[in-house]
Amino acid sequence: MTTETTTITNKMTTRNVDVFYGEKQAINGVSIDIDMENVTAFIGPSGCGKSTFLRTMNRMNDTIPSCRVTGEITLDGEDIYAPSMDVVQLRARVGMVFQKPNPFPKSIYDNIAYGPRIHGLASGKEELDRIVEKSLQRAGLWAEVKDRLNESGTALSGGQQQRLCIARAIAVDPEVILMDEPCSALDPIATAKIEELIHELRGKYAIVIVTHNMQQAARVSQRTAFFHLGTMVEYGDTSEMFTNPQEERTRDYITGRYG
Amino acid sequence: MNNTASPATQQTAIVGSRSTDWQGEVMQKRIVRRYAAERRFKYLGLSAIVISSLFLAFLLFVMIGNGIKGFSTTQVAVPIDFASATGGASPEQISGEGAERALNSLDIAGVVNTAIEIEYGAEAGDIFTENSWTDVRDALLSNPDMIAGNTTVWLTAKSEIDRAAKDETDEKFEALYAKLKDAGKAQSGFNWGFLTGADGTDPARVGIWGALKGSIITMLVTLAMAFPVGVLAAVYLEEYAPSNRVTDFIEVSINNLAAVPSIIFGLLGLVVFLSWLELPRSSALVGGLVLALMTMPVIVIAGRNSIKSVPPSIREAAMGVGASPVQVVFHHVLPLALPGIMTGTIIGMARALGETAPLLMIGMRAFLTSPPQGLTDPSTVLPVQIYLWSDEVNRGFVEKTSAAIIVLLIFLLTMNAFAIYLRNRFETRW
Ligand SMILES: Nc1ncnc2c1ncn2[C@@H]1O[C@H](COP(=O)(O)OP(=O)(O)OP(=O)(O)O)[C@@H](O)[C@H]1O
Ligand SMILES: [Mg+2]
Repeated sequence: MTTETTTITNKMTTRNVDVFYGEKQAINGVSIDIDMENVTAFIGPSGCGKSTFLRTMNRMNDTIPSCRVTGEITLDGEDIYAPSMDVVQLRARVGMVFQKPNPFPKSIYDNIAYGPRIHGLASGKEELDRIVEKSLQRAGLWAEVKDRLNESGTALSGGQQQRLCIARAIAVDPEVILMDEPCSALDPIATAKIEELIHELRGKYAIVIVTHNMQQAARVSQRTAFFHLGTMVEYGDTSEMFTNPQEERTRDYITGRYG
Repeated sequence: MNNTASPATQQTAIVGSRSTDWQGEVMQKRIVRRYAAERRFKYLGLSAIVISSLFLAFLLFVMIGNGIKGFSTTQVAVPIDFASATGGASPEQISGEGAERALNSLDIAGVVNTAIEIEYGAEAGDIFTENSWTDVRDALLSNPDMIAGNTTVWLTAKSEIDRAAKDETDEKFEALYAKLKDAGKAQSGFNWGFLTGADGTDPARVGIWGALKGSIITMLVTLAMAFPVGVLAAVYLEEYAPSNRVTDFIEVSINNLAAVPSIIFGLLGLVVFLSWLELPRSSALVGGLVLALMTMPVIVIAGRNSIKSVPPSIREAAMGVGASPVQVVFHHVLPLALPGIMTGTIIGMARALGETAPLLMIGMRAFLTSPPQGLTDPSTVLPVQIYLWSDEVNRGFVEKTSAAIIVLLIFLLTMNAFAIYLRNRFETRW
């Protein structure tokens, strides 16, 4: 499975990851490699565990008391569940964009500046301004908001809010960005903007995107993992998977027979 | 309605052929009933509002009607020839450092009482009290030049004369007042002494400032204790405490604490603060601490509820950019929860402000003729003062009691208005 990626260094790897909610197993033995060159898409029917798995990758699931993870997940070869791992820094290095846009109820500027501020990434006001501008530009939002940086982030439209959240995630200069259905609440134009953004970010960050939209997976990703009932059924090159799926369940799902 | 057929037909209509008759008679009746229910509810709500407004209006009407008189005072004129009575004392003598001592040696009391005697003769005792001369002393202290001349001073009259001025006393004093009034020797005005003085034996001379200042200091102590401790407890219980038996027990205890009768907090304060810690009796410090114990559970409960209602997506967003748990709480959760916490604080503080029972237990019912100067001075508070005055036999205290209630209500309104202003500021900041 990993033969064609041997030349590329893996940013994150997961090996035999099981996730349990109390007694119930939600993820069953998933092994995946994430690298900087390829965008990885997670697809699969609702409730199959895509979000659950994604959240294990920056330990967001720590907030759910009943949730338990076994197996190994590494970032640059380091086990992220090791006791020596600092969770706060891990989440700064592995950023996340949530399914529902969740800007802070603060100004647009403060939304972006918050992360750099708490991590001390800017040495002064000017540098912070530059980070804010650069992040908004990368997220394709700068032109729309540059005159209203002091307005509330929650007053933006849904699509703008989602791009604000992406800008907020990249402002802390993470190494990996996890996106959980970032376009599920957006219209086609806003979706196109975010897909374009993912293209631009590719190579600078390792990107994982969860999506329900097959076309989107095909457009933005180079690698795709298909999940079903908590197991990863198939994992490989996106073009390969969409033209010639190896598994029957994958074929059924991609052609829309269930989902 | 034919009871037997109707349910059966309806069932077939819904489950079977899906031909619900939306225009049918049954449906129309249902609509009529629904409108009637809506209307009924609206009128019920409206009448509830009207009833509570009436109560409030009645309360305000009665209070203001009675209390407004407490804010005015009656003064009677006394001409005094200071120059000859004091044997030519100079203004320099009674100004500066030793003014008060110099005045005492001049026997101002004697001077004034003699002047009163000359002017009013036998009626003097019905018009003035033996303390009336203190008005002259205060006037001389603020205006030493008076000592060198012959002036008419206005002295606070006896409470009976004051009440006669507001026409509600016996004939003797009413006749006396009418005589004075006709001679131009009586005047009524705003009672500044009431706003600057403290408790006393003569209702015409008592003031509310002592109790008001006591209330202010006590409330500040309460706020300074209850707010930070209450908020931190709420944050800890909500964000950090593991959910187990111990935290369940603490939660139940706090909820019960909020319902404990206040007098029990007074007993607690008596034992803990006065007996064990030996803090000064009757002081605003101890009063504030006791009220803080009472207010804290209310703030904890309100705080936990409003922390709980902060959407989890905000926490996730903050954690997602690498905020530590403390940063999540202080940068995001608390600012969003603050309006709710402040609502709880307002309720708790308002309750504490009106509390008498626990304060009586720790001795804040002392008779104090001067306002407290600090945290540890013996002091009293507005509701206790009201309670004490309402117990007085002298009829003149009745209007003072009402006036004190007005002051208490104004204090309460000011405190709440300030808190609501703060809350709205925090709410609109984003
Ligand atoms: N906090 C939780 N506690 C218990 N079970 C959970 C919890 N969150 C998710 N699950 C369960 O885990 C399974 C996977 O859920 P998950 O949210 O990962 O699905 P998903 O693939 O992201 O679905 P969708 O596409 O609808 O977002 C589901 O069966 C769900 O019921
Ligand atoms: Mg999901």
